[in-house]
Amino acid sequence: MMRLTGLLVALTGFISVISCQSAEEIKRQKYITEGILVYKTNCANCHQTKGEGVAALYPPIAGSDYLANKNSVICLIRYGQQGPIVVNGKPYNRPMPAQPQLSDLEIAELVTYIYNEWGNETKLTGVKEVTPILQQCKK
Amino acid sequence: MSKRKLIPVLNRLASFWAKNKTTPLLVSVLLILFGCNSPNEKLPILGNREAVTKIVDGKSVTDSVYQSIPDFKFVSQYGDTVTAKTLNNKIYVADFFFTSCPTICPKMKVQLKRVYEKFKGNPNVMLLSHTIDPAHDSVPVLKEFAQNLGVTGRQWLFVTGDREKIYDIGQISYMVTAQADSTAPGGVVHSGAFILVDKAKHIRGIYDGTTEEGVDKLMNDMDRLLAEYTL
Repeated sequence: MMRLTGLLVALTGFISVISCQSAEEIKRQKYITEGILVYKTNCANCHQTKGEGVAALYPPIAGSDYLANKNSVICLIRYGQQGPIVVNGKPYNRPMPAQPQLSDLEIAELVTYIYNEWGNETKLTGVKEVTPILQQCKK
Repeated sequence: MSKRKLIPVLNRLASFWAKNKTTPLLVSVLLILFGCNSPNEKLPILGNREAVTKIVDGKSVTDSVYQSIPDFKFVSQYGDTVTAKTLNNKIYVADFFFTSCPTICPKMKVQLKRVYEKFKGNPNVMLLSHTIDPAHDSVPVLKEFAQNLGVTGRQWLFVTGDREKIYDIGQISYMVTAQADSTAPGGVVHSGAFILVDKAKHIRGIYDGTTEEGVDKLMNDMDRLLAEYTL
């Protein structure tokens, strides 16, 4: 009887871990799906659907070394980017317009999509993580 | 119609098809010949046309005169003057954009770059991009933009000039929308159209320059238009 209970407890624990993981996974997928839409509407015009950018006009996002600094990526999405920058060793100097219409959640979804698609990440960048960063870089 | 009446009708129809096996074949051959995608068919001339009666050799002759692109005078990314004469004996694609445009222009430029790559070095083809924000898009700004886009040489000209004249030629001659609108992103609304102009300065097609399909059709039509001059 004791052994059965033990087994049952272990089994319940196992199931709860699995379902907990998949709840997190479902959330990540949901973020990515929304992120794709945000990307297509607000970013793809310049950075292109596959994130490859355009010649020396608009820098790539896919395979970009700029992704290393996630905080500044989060900030420039909302507040834009002025002046020269270097991406993968190449200079770019064209202003990126601010996107004040995007909510904290939309930026979190977008960043999750970008980093999962092009930044070798398989985790979610949640809105709780994004909000304080956005507040810090508010000009 | 009652069932009794319907059956003989169907029978007659069936026997007609049975007896005239060549008819459907003929119909499909005709459809193929006159289908809109027939490669032998000339592109239409778009725009207004007027019937003009002239006296030729003492006889009065009525001819239709098609809308055409009038002369203009703009400045290219190299700082030299561009007029209608610059495009003489060329077919060309015209469009309207501005360098700081965050909406459809980048898409249009990516698509027009495809056209540029395809017809690069063809002496019969030019591309003419007009800025609709001449206050910002000066000659050096256009030059840098063209360079950054990877455009060299004079086959693809980026032109600036008098704002009103650019808007007028866009709206009246090329039949596209271009107007200031403070509510639009970038302050200007404009169409994403590419306009194909032939050697007689007639408009032969207007295409959606924001989509790959639209520009595939443009490139296909450019080949057809070029073929008109090699016959």
